[in-house]
Amino acid sequence: MSDIERELEEELHRVLDPIAARPIPRRRALSGHRSLKTVLGGAGAALTIKVLTGVAVAAAAVTVAGAATTGSLNPVVWGQQVTQQVSSCKSKLAAGDHGIGDCVSQFASQHGAAVASAARHHGNGNGSGNPTDNGGSNGTGNGNANGHGKDQRRGQPTAAPTVDPEATDPVQGHPPVRVSPGP
Amino acid sequence: MDETERYEPGSEADFERLYRNTYRRILGTLITLVRDVPTAEDCAQETFERAYRNWSTWRPDAPVEAWLHRIAINVAISDRRHQRIRQAGEVIRRLGRPDPGPDPAVVAERSDLVRAVKKLPTKQAAALVLRHYHGYTNREIAAALGVPEQTVASRLAAARKQLQAVLGR
Repeated sequence: MSDIERELEEELHRVLDPIAARPIPRRRALSGHRSLKTVLGGAGAALTIKVLTGVAVAAAAVTVAGAATTGSLNPVVWGQQVTQQVSSCKSKLAAGDHGIGDCVSQFASQHGAAVASAARHHGNGNGSGNPTDNGGSNGTGNGNANGHGKDQRRGQPTAAPTVDPEATDPVQGHPPVRVSPGP
Repeated sequence: MDETERYEPGSEADFERLYRNTYRRILGTLITLVRDVPTAEDCAQETFERAYRNWSTWRPDAPVEAWLHRIAINVAISDRRHQRIRQAGEVIRRLGRPDPGPDPAVVAERSDLVRAVKKLPTKQAAALVLRHYHGYTNREIAAALGVPEQTVASRLAAARKQLQAVLGR
């Protein structure tokens, strides 16, 4: 036996024997452990990330498409709608008439009512969007439902919300109050 | 190799006995083939999982431990293939770890010779460990690896030569 062989044997025993003397662990039950690790690690991880990213993008696309179809509270979308409304109001102006304030204001008040309704729906509206509303606008947050509500306080007719057709309290914790004139 | 033990293929109790009798030797081989002891333990479990799946079809015309070693070496080769992909993550995972104590596993990982063995081609390293740690004959190693005896001899010679070069002996 050469020196290298002798040294190899001694070193392998010195190093491996203490490990081999450890208690034998329980045999692992048959499972998909290794397969799962393969999927989650290495090249599999990259594939998994790609798949998850694809699902997320698809979900986002569906959301955006749905919002575009049904209307949206997104400020960007709202800005575009206002721009369109201004153009529309201008085109409706009769010759000699000036000002499109009422026309645009009416559109804005509809949006205000819709946003207030949605905020109440989530429990964080402060109810200032519609002072006559008896619904559950008792939230304590800083909702932005009062953004366009001033027009309604000036006595403009209240238009039905376009985004949230149901202005009642969703959890029905606050039943509507009926105010009847006194005798 | 211990050929006094008899095992019935497909027997659950016999497989459990086989596991108890051979786990340490399989682990010892794998420690020198894969990068660290936890990986070796994982590969040992993988080896017995694969063996268990084929236990009912195993034929006792060959030593059972040779069969297990062949599976273990294939598991180690497979692990080495995936090692490069995982290496970057491992480096990050180990950053900031406290200095390990005198754990036998750490001693194994710090041994220059064991590290040099790990750098050998898997089949050369396996032949070396089977020969110089387990004390198998070349014929038994040939049976375990499924190769001619002459191939084992040439792998051993190449492994020794490379070790001498790496260790400067």
